[in-house]
Amino acid sequence: MLLEVLLALVLGAVVLLVLRRSKAAVLKTEDGWWGAGSPPAGAEDESIRPFQVETSREEIEDLQRRIDQTRPVPSLEDSQFNYGFNSTYLQKVAAYWRNEFDWSKQVDKLNQYPHFKTKIEGIDVHYVHVKPKNLPEGRTAVPLIMVHGWPGSFYEFYGILPLLTEPANADDVAFEVICPSIPGYGFSEAPRKKGFNSVCAARVFLKLMRRLGFGRFYAQGGDWGWQITTNMAQLDPTAVKGLHINFAPVENVGPLLILSILLGRRFPGLFGFTELDVKRLYPRVEKMLVEPLKETGYFHIQATKPDTAGRGLNDSPVGLAAYILEKFSTWTDHEFRNLEDGGLERKFSLEDLLTNVMIYWTTGSITSSMRFYKENFAKGFYPPHARIPVTVPTGVAAFPNELMHTPKLWAKQKNHKLKTYTTMARGGHFAAMEEPGLMAQDIQKFIKVVEGKK
Amino acid sequence: MQAVEAIQKALQELDRPKLQLLALSSVGIGLTYFLVWRRKAKKSIPLGDGWWGHGQQTLRDDNKIYPFKVETSEDEINDLHRRIDQMRYTEPLEDCGFQYGFNSNYLQKVVSYWRNQFDWKKQVAKLNEYPHFKTNIEGLDVHFVHVRAPHRPGQKVLPLMLVHGWPGSFFEFYKILPLLTDTKDDLAFEVICPSIPGYGFSEAPHKQGFCSLDAARIFLKLMERLGFNKFYLQGGDWGSLITTNMAQMKPQCVSGLHLNMLAVTKRGVGMLLSLIIGPYLPFLVGFTREDVRRLFPYFEKNVYDLLMESGYMHIQGTKPDTAGCGLNDSPVGLAAYILEKFSTWTDRKNRDLEDGDLEKKYSLDDLLTNVMIYWTTRSIIPSMRFYKENFKTNPQNRVDARTGIFVPMGHAAFPNELMHCPLPWARWRFKDIRSYSYMPRGGHFAAFEEPRLLAEDFVKFVRKVEGKKR
Repeated sequence: MLLEVLLALVLGAVVLLVLRRSKAAVLKTEDGWWGAGSPPAGAEDESIRPFQVETSREEIEDLQRRIDQTRPVPSLEDSQFNYGFNSTYLQKVAAYWRNEFDWSKQVDKLNQYPHFKTKIEGIDVHYVHVKPKNLPEGRTAVPLIMVHGWPGSFYEFYGILPLLTEPANADDVAFEVICPSIPGYGFSEAPRKKGFNSVCAARVFLKLMRRLGFGRFYAQGGDWGWQITTNMAQLDPTAVKGLHINFAPVENVGPLLILSILLGRRFPGLFGFTELDVKRLYPRVEKMLVEPLKETGYFHIQATKPDTAGRGLNDSPVGLAAYILEKFSTWTDHEFRNLEDGGLERKFSLEDLLTNVMIYWTTGSITSSMRFYKENFAKGFYPPHARIPVTVPTGVAAFPNELMHTPKLWAKQKNHKLKTYTTMARGGHFAAMEEPGLMAQDIQKFIKVVEGKK
Repeated sequence: MQAVEAIQKALQELDRPKLQLLALSSVGIGLTYFLVWRRKAKKSIPLGDGWWGHGQQTLRDDNKIYPFKVETSEDEINDLHRRIDQMRYTEPLEDCGFQYGFNSNYLQKVVSYWRNQFDWKKQVAKLNEYPHFKTNIEGLDVHFVHVRAPHRPGQKVLPLMLVHGWPGSFFEFYKILPLLTDTKDDLAFEVICPSIPGYGFSEAPHKQGFCSLDAARIFLKLMERLGFNKFYLQGGDWGSLITTNMAQMKPQCVSGLHLNMLAVTKRGVGMLLSLIIGPYLPFLVGFTREDVRRLFPYFEKNVYDLLMESGYMHIQGTKPDTAGCGLNDSPVGLAAYILEKFSTWTDRKNRDLEDGDLEKKYSLDDLLTNVMIYWTTRSIIPSMRFYKENFKTNPQNRVDARTGIFVPMGHAAFPNELMHCPLPWARWRFKDIRSYSYMPRGGHFAAFEEPRLLAEDFVKFVRKVEGKKR
């Protein structure tokens, strides 16, 4: 009896799947304008202006003054990082920031690559443009756009950029990389109007690539970067040659997914579940309900009251650092919650972490960065783009400590041309920053598969 | 012996169906008696014990009660002004009202008032109009205000404890205090307004695990230390849960429990049925027309709206130390975070207004005084930890959620409260409801916003209880 029911379910699921795949809809979008007031008459200024990150004595002194003024509250005994950023360790970070961190030096480091700004849909979009320096004769660099997420920035890619633009291996592909800042983040101007979601960001970045003369290019992203690059592939599948993502949360819950959740532990082979898949997904209630609930408080408040949530963080650098760096700890490895220092310096240097924080601090962009959450969930959890599959070649790098684990079967539901799916050896959510070598390797592997099959 | 024989003879004369009927009805009667007895049996929850100070517990037990005065200094005020001046403004989106949180444009007006016109010294003097005290319980200094009724001949004075919630404080009760203590008729109250440990002038616990059950036990010890062995309780928000726990721990001490907020905890078939049938045949499930008006459309009002408004609860219930860190350095950030609730929880329609209609029901002086209590005591983080401590174990499985409340209870249901609990649902847990009132206006911060209405309903409840003393 059970077998018949099971067979019927499976058959029904297969039928549904087949029917689903046949309607590959295209994501539609309208133009937008995000500046203050009404758009001016006449054509938009499309010039590309070089940009330099700058700082001043006043900026540094103001920061130091505010750090000095912080009012620490001791953490509960033996609570480590379970209540959030541990107060004792936060004081250590603040002391380093105050006395040893050299922002001028970091600004120079940021400026080692050329930065630019250009106006799109009424707002200034910032990006870094890195070309390979020593390209051998007859070779062209492959264009690639890499999009960051929250609470990251273009700076997360500084470790991987040399590996992609000057690969050590002779038969590796050399890339020409564009790292933009999402509007509202860092040096990109924040939208003034409501409604700027990932589809709008995707449209803006497509316009950017077009303006820079790239007709066809690859895209890479994690966190919001995943969502935006996915939307880019959905908006213009002809422009996006391939999509490489290190984050692939499920948006659409279908019968096959449900079946795999119900039976995957007992019959992993049936769904192609690996050992890692089973470890990350089961026990169900703990891994799929309790753990996400524990870690999504920030998401909930940012998706509902971003202006309130960001208000205090824009005045208190230590508060901002605690808020942002807590994620760099917990999202790198959940086990870090049980460490006094959150394991923060095991995979990252304080210098790099604080440079990322400074990008939010000096631009005052924490509130606008949070608004992106509200804009993306304004229409609920099931916007049109969640129902549309991705039809460009896709590669998924599944890092073992990523926030949400996606087995190959689930990734295939959304990405109909899944070319590579790699279970990575180690690494968490901020993959490009934490494991640039591994990430670069997988990007190369993906590109070779796509280019090889041309 | 003869009786037994007589019964045996009578039984033998019954035929089979009658015997079966007798057996069944005996079981039925027995079961009924058992259930009724169980219902009447007043269950209480265990008191437990705790110690929340630094390090190991010391043997010395200081039971003394020390008078306390709220103080301030030039340094404190100058530091506040300096931080306000350092605020880094972020432009709001066009036409967003309070939908994205506290509107930045209106915030600038509030902040300007705070910086230039708000007089903290005057407010401190106002706070000190009532006598404050501190006493050490379970390793923590517990702060409270103790207001005695002036001696009036022929007046019965009853003891009462008022417990605040988040993001409020004992100060929320300052408008209702005179209405309860300084009455001209035959009934007056002697009122204790404590601060929950971790809030305001009460010391914050240094150990993990301090939840509403611990706060309840500490407040029971406080009343005992003050010499009260029977008293009334009133509360909303966390105060509602804490006073309910107090009534569950020592029902013999609680004359009556008055709540202005009721959380619906026990879901199940009964609730589902009433939700499905309620909109169409309300009387069938015990709903009044007013219940229907306040509850439905259910999804929009209770699920969607609650999701929109519970972000703070989610982050405070998981990462309080992170959530409060920036707020403890930035007074403007703290004010925005706290006052957003005073706007939205007073009336949800305020979300569409540029100024959140904050000053319609409250004065900036009062609102900022409450914020200053969090600011000057640096208690925003410990106040947030209370959420995590209470959500550590599934709130529906905790001992207090599975136990009923048997003391006389009264509920004032304000129309703009965060959630509405109809009488039939309240009856699942509260076994002795003496009064249930639909208040004509008011929201979550009832004592602060509508002190007169709340006082009137509370006194009405007390009279019912005092009149019908068992």
